[in-house]
Amino acid sequence: MLPTPDIKDLDFNVYEPSEDSFLLLDCFEQEIKFLKSYFQQKSPIIIEVGTGSGIVTSFIMSNILPESIFLTTDVNPHAITTCRKTVEYNNSQFSGCFDALQMSLTTGVRKGLVDILVFNPPYVPAEDVPEIPDSERSDTWLDLALLGGSDGMVVTWELLNDLDTTLSEKGIAYILFCARNKPLEVQKIMESRGWKVDVVISRKAGWEVLSILKFYR
Amino acid sequence: MKFLTTNFIQCAVKGCQSSDSSFPLKYEECELVAETQEFKPEFLVHMLEKINWSALVQVARDLGNDNLPTEKPELDPIMEDDVLILKDLHNLLVETNILNGKMICNNCGHIYFIKNSIPNFLLPPHLCN
Ligand SMILES: C[S@@+](CC[C@H](N)C(=O)[O-])C[C@H]1O[C@@H](n2cnc3c(N)ncnc32)[C@H](O)[C@@H]1O
Ligand SMILES: [Zn+2]
Repeated sequence: MLPTPDIKDLDFNVYEPSEDSFLLLDCFEQEIKFLKSYFQQKSPIIIEVGTGSGIVTSFIMSNILPESIFLTTDVNPHAITTCRKTVEYNNSQFSGCFDALQMSLTTGVRKGLVDILVFNPPYVPAEDVPEIPDSERSDTWLDLALLGGSDGMVVTWELLNDLDTTLSEKGIAYILFCARNKPLEVQKIMESRGWKVDVVISRKAGWEVLSILKFYR
Repeated sequence: MKFLTTNFIQCAVKGCQSSDSSFPLKYEECELVAETQEFKPEFLVHMLEKINWSALVQVARDLGNDNLPTEKPELDPIMEDDVLILKDLHNLLVETNILNGKMICNNCGHIYFIKNSIPNFLLPPHLCN
């Protein structure tokens, strides 16, 4: 097993690495051979949306594709500073490029740029997606990590609907779902739009079944 | 925020997404700091493939650097002269950080701020969707 990054003094406003985060780590451990040969020593542009503590990006940086260009986004400013700290602490030897951006999804990223997109979204079904607080000191930042509106899919659909303009020609997106998101239906809809979709890994976590789907052209 | 990242970001306003003038942003009042990082010539060459060169030249000019050639150079990490140029580019793209500053969209005029190296692309409610 590849080493898991250390998360130091996690801010209580930031999502604590959980089963879903660890499933993503295992997903990339499983994909390592494929990804290395697919990008053949070139430097892919990897963007993690909703990076939270930064654990997933730090893991990919250390273990999967070290000479890459990494960007992370999150709406939560506490997540952005935490992610930078996590990378600083775990990846001091990293010699690629890394920046953390406060941003919703990939709205401020140049189109057609992203080779690998990773997203562990707010996937819990809820009445609404919470509004972004207007103060850094608000105590509701963590709600944004969890609540995903109808079917827990509102935020994820926003990203999927723009995927075609976001990804580069060879681009691949890895997105995490829980069973209540109805991933098989999502898969069908995306396939009808011309995407290839594979289930990379799935696992029972408590009373939740989590899976990671891979979208590519 | 690394100088390199300026090549990957544009205005987040929906109506600007398809406009050519929303990339690159215009950089003003920027405070730069240098941070040393290991030089890997091959990585630089791969990175250059991803770069929109004219945008890079434009942003360099915003930040007071007029020295870049107008055409993207073809560089070979085996050639000694090329390695010198790669080293310069490493210096500019990877080691130069924008600590604080403003980024302005040439299409809609919206101003984004960089604070403590972190650019903020969240939009006020009236500019969302
Ligand atoms: C389930 S957490 C995942 C955190 C981390 N990636 C992990 O796996 O441990 C979801 C993250 O997405 C962020 N988020 C929610 N809505 C977002 C949006 N529209 N754009 C970017 N990030 C968002 C939250 O702030 C939170 O950090
Ligand atoms: Zn604009």
